[in-house]
Amino acid sequence: MKRANVLREYGALFALVLLFVINVVTRKANFLQIENLRNLVSQDAAVGIIAIGMTFVIIAGGIDLSVGSMAAMCGAVVILLMNKLAGSGLSPNNAILLAAIGAMGIGALAGLFNGFVVAYGRVAAFVVTLGGLAGFRSIALVLGSGGEIRSQVSRLEDFGFGGIPIPFAKNASGGPVQFYWSAIIFIVVAILAGFVLNKTRFGRYIIAVGANQRAAEYSAINTQTVRLAVYTVLGGLVGLASVVAVARMNSVGTGSAGLYYELDAIAAVVIGGTSLRGGKGRIWGTVVGVLLLTLISNMITAYHIDTNWQGLVRGIVILVAVLIQRGGKENE
Amino acid sequence: MEFPAVRALDGVTIAFEAGEVHGIVGENGAGKSTLMKILSGVQHATSGTILLDGEPVSLHGVRGALQHGIAMIHQELNLVDELNVAENVFLGREISKGGMLDRAKMVELTTDILRQVHAPFAANVKVGQLSIAGKQLVEIAKAVAIDASILIMDEPTAVLSEPEAASLFELISRLKERGTTILYISHRLTEVCAICDRITVLRDGSWVTTVDANGANPSELARLMVGRPIRDFYPAKVAAPDGKPILELDQFCGASFSVRPGEILGLAGLVGAGRTELAEAIIGIRPTESGTIRLNGLPVKLRSPKKAMTHGVVYVSEDRKGLGLHLSLGVIQNVTLANLRAYGRIVLNHQKERESAESWKKDLDIRAGDLEGPAINVSGGNQQKIAIAKWLETKPKVIILDEPTRGVDVGAKREMYNLIQKLAGDGMACIVISSELPEILGLCHRAIIMREGKVVGQLAGEELSEEAVMHLAAGVAAA
Repeated sequence: MKRANVLREYGALFALVLLFVINVVTRKANFLQIENLRNLVSQDAAVGIIAIGMTFVIIAGGIDLSVGSMAAMCGAVVILLMNKLAGSGLSPNNAILLAAIGAMGIGALAGLFNGFVVAYGRVAAFVVTLGGLAGFRSIALVLGSGGEIRSQVSRLEDFGFGGIPIPFAKNASGGPVQFYWSAIIFIVVAILAGFVLNKTRFGRYIIAVGANQRAAEYSAINTQTVRLAVYTVLGGLVGLASVVAVARMNSVGTGSAGLYYELDAIAAVVIGGTSLRGGKGRIWGTVVGVLLLTLISNMITAYHIDTNWQGLVRGIVILVAVLIQRGGKENE
Repeated sequence: MEFPAVRALDGVTIAFEAGEVHGIVGENGAGKSTLMKILSGVQHATSGTILLDGEPVSLHGVRGALQHGIAMIHQELNLVDELNVAENVFLGREISKGGMLDRAKMVELTTDILRQVHAPFAANVKVGQLSIAGKQLVEIAKAVAIDASILIMDEPTAVLSEPEAASLFELISRLKERGTTILYISHRLTEVCAICDRITVLRDGSWVTTVDANGANPSELARLMVGRPIRDFYPAKVAAPDGKPILELDQFCGASFSVRPGEILGLAGLVGAGRTELAEAIIGIRPTESGTIRLNGLPVKLRSPKKAMTHGVVYVSEDRKGLGLHLSLGVIQNVTLANLRAYGRIVLNHQKERESAESWKKDLDIRAGDLEGPAINVSGGNQQKIAIAKWLETKPKVIILDEPTRGVDVGAKREMYNLIQKLAGDGMACIVISSELPEILGLCHRAIIMREGKVVGQLAGEELSEEAVMHLAAGVAAA
């Protein structure tokens, strides 16, 4: 493989490793603290879960700008449903579980709607989901009367900060360090998605539709169903992500929840090496993209840099990632 | 007299005289298009020089070639449908006055040029509204507008009806009188002999000969092009077995015909005659309500390629790179794509996919080094085999092959004919769409001829001759 191609294939991974080493060297034990490393994986788990679904949509040649608003809408549904179920005498665990399933259902439904208009209404995905960006947020605001919806089930927080104890790890007060459920869900979703993309018939169809939609149609693939499916899967994952996010906050601010999730998710996908033109992409790249973005914001806090710079730094990272990918293309 | 000269393609030297009409003939893949791409600045020669009026020139891009007075009229015309004729003629060289476009001036100049080329339309007509012949005139007008001294025409009559072609020939002779050199590429040897002064024959990337058109005859040229008598080029025909038709069209999109298992049926006609559209309607890509399709005598509705495939009817597109294959996907993935279900309902068996691709590689002699590598790395003829393998995978009963030998080299062409005959021998009904008459004559048992979207005739056996097909295709009563 030529050097330019190696850079294009693994550029994001190199960048992640490089930043990691820089952190190890300059922050030493502070950085290597087990809690800190755990936070790197769990901090943006919600965005990560959405980014995985977004990878499918982008590989299939689409885009979804509505995920942030959709997450707010699903988050509102989770809490309202959970409060209602718990209020009607259901045990907190069951109430949370049912509400989570409900949120995923609502998300999948919203995604189905997006996918339906894109695939059968033949409207550009950008436009359809821009509509969703406005519309789903509005539904969230209506559900929350424009403000915050608080959870009345304290068990939710236990889920948000619970997890599996990391073996041998002790926190400052000598207690166990939990590997959060959010990170576990993120990792499981990523592994499943990688399997679906690379090993299943559905995954192959996603790639074929994104690489050349008309050729896929001529190859007797039902391209409309495939496109409908990727948006629906993404919607379901947005619902799941909203549960993860809501559990951490124990509430949802219907005006602020999920803001810019679409940008972060798309950025992670692109940084990870998935082509915005579709037909080519990888799940592990998206995971690297999410971790890279998390690490950068982590560093900005750690080095006491004015957090207002964060957007600019991210913007530059995205641009560099895209430029490297395109540069590699020309050297092929 | 000066001789603008070209050295290209395996050290070949061809001299084009100023003011001559020079025919260039050769099979697909003979090097015509490479030569023309180099001359029109699209591609760079790896060695050799182009001498223009005795001076070596280097042509950088189409613009560079145009600056040297070399213009090319492509088969697929490069016009902007949304703009009018004058805007197209001056595209990229707009005349402006005080920072504003001088539309009046451009329309005036264009009108003058249109008069010179005897165009029957005005300068302010939208190009999208013109017929193909009209668009071709706009391309020629563009060349006249830049005062091109060399005009390269690639298969200009492939899209024209007979009267349109006749007026094109008239225009060519007028341009010639003005001193324009015309390089005329065509597969139609009769017309090349008729309108050219001299004819160069290319074969497999090398120069074969340049002959005086006076006294040249088409069958001699054809022999030179192929390098062996035409008859040998096609496998000997095997009589099609008798039997009930497998596929019948009854007033389907204005076409009624049938094809039997084991039969090779040609679908002839000029480019734009509606053959591809008919094929696409059959497999359900183009929805249509008119007429019926019967398979084994039973009426069926094939509403999508998937539906058609499950009924055993498949279509190999003429647009191999755009529709027939996924160029960015691996060879294996292309081969198994239409039949993916056979490799796993949910989880795919990669090993089985690879084995299947290996076996097609062997059966069809697909020359692809790396089966994992993308299909774009494979040559045209082998891409075509991959596209066909994709459909053979589904075990079709009727296979529609649209221009199966377009853009493949001579050797691969022959292999393709052998393959088609083998498929027919195995009992498959093969419908071959082709714009190359010798192909229809050499390969097919029977031919359906289409013109302007309708079936206009059917020829078989003795009646199936080049002249008869051409007359029907071009819409002129047989002599």
